[in-house]
Amino acid sequence: MNTAGFDELIHAPTRLQIVSLLAASQWADFKYIRDELGLSDSALSKQLSILESAGYVEIRKAFVGKRPRTSASLSKAGRHAFGQHVAALQRMLAKSQQDGGAKTPMKPTA
Amino acid sequence: MGDTEQPEAGTGTTRTEAAAELAEIKLRQQKVIESVLVRVWYWWVMAAGMVAIGAARDSHDRVVQAITIPLAVLVMVVLTGAMIPEVRRRIQVHSATQPGAHGAAAIFGLIVLVNAATIATAASLAGHRVAHPLTIGYGAGAAVLVIAGPLVMGYCHRLMLTRARQQMKDAPNGGTP
Repeated sequence: MNTAGFDELIHAPTRLQIVSLLAASQWADFKYIRDELGLSDSALSKQLSILESAGYVEIRKAFVGKRPRTSASLSKAGRHAFGQHVAALQRMLAKSQQDGGAKTPMKPTA
Repeated sequence: MGDTEQPEAGTGTTRTEAAAELAEIKLRQQKVIESVLVRVWYWWVMAAGMVAIGAARDSHDRVVQAITIPLAVLVMVVLTGAMIPEVRRRIQVHSATQPGAHGAAAIFGLIVLVNAATIATAASLAGHRVAHPLTIGYGAGAAVLVIAGPLVMGYCHRLMLTRARQQMKDAPNGGTP
């Protein structure tokens, strides 16, 4: 955890994508997340494990017929951390606008 | 480039990076919502099925009817039955984002509108002894479906997006996006 809710764990680009996707859903299928974010199975597994270890994500494994299905959802702690992270980003943006955008010009977006 | 952005104390993140992160979050919300909405082609397949049923009934040919009507109904039922579990198998939108009663009312309104257009047109044409009243009647209903179906989905999309955005706005007050 960092300053005023800013979360380094969520801040990492791939994890931000995963957490944002999960925040908008109750749960999402592993394959859906993988395909949506264009990740490999191993890359997604690794990031989900990190988030699971932090208590942000819950992984559910089940069988539908004979097929194994893995899904992920944000835990209560993960949803709270994400909310705090979003709030921190919004505050940063609001603060920099109050400080005067003219004084600190925006960097061109890559 | 003269001036450079100063990272926010304790985060190492600049204003531009914060803005980009928020944009990414919004994009993911949008993608999730779009993934659970009915695709445009679905309305066209349903409309084609309706017209096929109307044309078969107008043909007064029992063989044509016996083949076309069950086949069209089968395609429509299987398509509808398969699409919903397929979406539900992949993802479920957060409960606070779902369109709720407004979305359900819009879909119910669409069903009423399609049926009203079909029945009113077919009955009116049959009353005036116009040829192929059922084909034209079902065609009218199909046209309504093809036009209004995507509009209803657009409405649900906006509704869900508004709710998702509201959740994000509420985040600083302790809301959970």
